[in-house]
Amino acid sequence: MRIIALVKYSMDVAEIKVDPGTRALRMNGVPHRFGDLDKGAVEAAIRLKEAGDAVVEVVCFGPSGALGAMKDLLAMGADEATVIEDPYDGAADAAVVVRVIESALRKLTPFDLVICGFASDDGYSYQMGPRLAERLDLPLVSYASQVGVEDGILVADRDLEAGLQTVSTPLPAIVSVAEEAFVPRSVTLLQAMKAQKKPTNLWSLADLGLASEGLDAVFGYSPLGETGIVVNRRRHLLKDSKLAEMADGLIDYLVDEQVLVAEGGA
Amino acid sequence: MPGVILVSSEQPSLALELLGQARRLADGVGSEVRLCVSGRLDAADLAIYASYGADLVYATDQPVSDPCEWADILTGVIADSLPVLLLVGATKTGMEVAPRVAERCDASYAAWAVGIEIEAGFTTTTASCMLYAGTGLATYRFSRPVTILSVAPGVFEVFAQEGRVARVEPVAVSERPPRLSVLGDRAKSSSGARLQGARVVIDVGRGVKNQGDLELIRTLASLLDGQLSCSRPVSSDRDWFGEWLGLSGVKIKPDLCLTIGISGAVQHVVGIRDSRVIASVNNDENAAIFTQADIGVVADLNEFVPVLIERLKSRGAHPAWL
Repeated sequence: MRIIALVKYSMDVAEIKVDPGTRALRMNGVPHRFGDLDKGAVEAAIRLKEAGDAVVEVVCFGPSGALGAMKDLLAMGADEATVIEDPYDGAADAAVVVRVIESALRKLTPFDLVICGFASDDGYSYQMGPRLAERLDLPLVSYASQVGVEDGILVADRDLEAGLQTVSTPLPAIVSVAEEAFVPRSVTLLQAMKAQKKPTNLWSLADLGLASEGLDAVFGYSPLGETGIVVNRRRHLLKDSKLAEMADGLIDYLVDEQVLVAEGGA
Repeated sequence: MPGVILVSSEQPSLALELLGQARRLADGVGSEVRLCVSGRLDAADLAIYASYGADLVYATDQPVSDPCEWADILTGVIADSLPVLLLVGATKTGMEVAPRVAERCDASYAAWAVGIEIEAGFTTTTASCMLYAGTGLATYRFSRPVTILSVAPGVFEVFAQEGRVARVEPVAVSERPPRLSVLGDRAKSSSGARLQGARVVIDVGRGVKNQGDLELIRTLASLLDGQLSCSRPVSSDRDWFGEWLGLSGVKIKPDLCLTIGISGAVQHVVGIRDSRVIASVNNDENAAIFTQADIGVVADLNEFVPVLIERLKSRGAHPAWL
C-alpha cells in the first residue's frame, strides 16, 4: 500500500502578536513548524504502515527550508519526503494550493491513500481534503478519528458534532484526520539518525508542469489587508494569597461588574 | 431577479442567523434571499423562514446528511438561481460542503466570514474573515461571479418581521450512489447545556481531570445560574460534553465566562472573547488565558473551587438578575 501524507509547514499562531496601537499583526519572527494536525496525518499513516505493509511518503507545499524539518517526520517513520517550493510564501488561495497538490498526486500516481489534517494549524479553513476529493474524484472520509484498511477497504470513524459515524469505502481514498485523534509519537535519537539517510526531494512548480502565471488566474480573491484582533481585558491577577482572600477578591470583582449581588455576611 | 443571495445550513438556528445577514444585505442592494434546507417543509416551517427573511425556500424531497449530496444539491440550486453570494453555516458538514461547491462552480471561497459587503449593482463582494485561527481579520475582494462564505454560529443576528411570505421550490436529491457506506452511528452524550443566551457560562478545560472535579464545578454552576461547557480537547478526550467552545465550536456572549483549567489557545478564546466579563482560574501563572481575562486567579482548581463555593454561599452571593 502506498500512502501519501500531506503536511503544511505552518505558522505557530500562538506566536503572532498584535500591535495594540496600530492593530498590525507582527509576523516577523513567528516560527514555522509542522503542527499537531500535520504530524497527526503522518502519525495516522505510520499506524497503518505498522498494521499492514505500506510505504509512507510525505508531501509539503512550502518553503525549501521545510525540508530540514521534514527529517522529524521521516524519523517518525515516513519513508520519503518531498517539498514543493511555494512561490506565494504561504499566502495562496486554497484553490491554488489544491491544484499544486493535485498535480503532485497525479505525478505520484498510483497511490492508495492520501491523508491530511482536517485543517491546517494556521489557515484553519478546512479546505484541502474536500477540494482534493472534488478534483481527483475520490471518496473523502473527513474528520477521521480512527482508520483501518482491510482487503483494499478503508474503515474509519468520523468525529462529527452529533456523534461518531463509522464508514467504509474502497481505496483509493482521501482521509482528513480529526483534532487530537492521532497524537504524534516522539522519536528516538536512533530514529532521528536513520532519518538522515532517507530520501528527500525538492520540486518546483515546473517539475509538476505548472506555471505561476496559470496559477495566478486561479485566485478567487485579492487580499485588501489584515488587522489583528485586540482584546482589551483588565488582566487583573490574584495570586500568592489565601484561597479565601482570592475567592473574596473574585466575588468583589464580579459584584463591581454587576454580575453578582452579595447580600452581605462574611 | 439579479443578485440572489443564497443561504444554506443543516443546523436550523444557524440557518436563521445567516438568513438575517442575507436579508440585511439584500435589502441594501435590492435582491432576493433564498434558503436551501433538507427535508420537506410544511406551511408552518415556510412561514417561519419567511418571517426570518427568506423569499424562496428550496426544500429537498428527502433528508440529506452526506456532504457530497449537499454539494450536489447546492450546485444545482446555484445553477438555477445564479446567486452572487452563498452563505454556508460553518458546521463540520458545512465546512466540507463549501469548498466542494467552490470547486464545482468555480466560485470564490473564504472561510469564517464576520463581515460582508455587496456593492450596489453587484459589482463587488468583499468580506472580512477570521485569519490565523482567529488572531486577526483579513479583508478580501472576490473575483468570481459566485462568492461562497462560511459563517460560524453566533456571528450574525437574526432578523424577524411578521407578515412576510415565501415561495417554496422542491429539489430532487441526486440518485448518485454515495461514496461512503455508513456502517454505524453512535450519538455523543449531550450535556443539555443551553449556551446561546446563557448569562453565565463555566468553561472547563483540560486542567479538570476527573468526574469528581466536574461535580464540584456543577455545584458552582448552579450557584451562579451558569451553563457548563468546555474546550475542544475536553470534548474529544472525555465523554462529558458533546459540544465545545471555540473557533470550530460554539461562540458565546454571556455576562460572565468563568474559565476553569483553560490554557487559552487562540482557537478556544475565539469562542469566549465576546463575553462581557472573563474570569479565569488556572494554576499556571503564565497560562495564555490570563492575558485574555479581566480577572484571573492563580490557584489549584481542586483547592480553589470548594473555597469559592463556600465564600459564595456564606456571602449570599447570587447573579445580579436573580
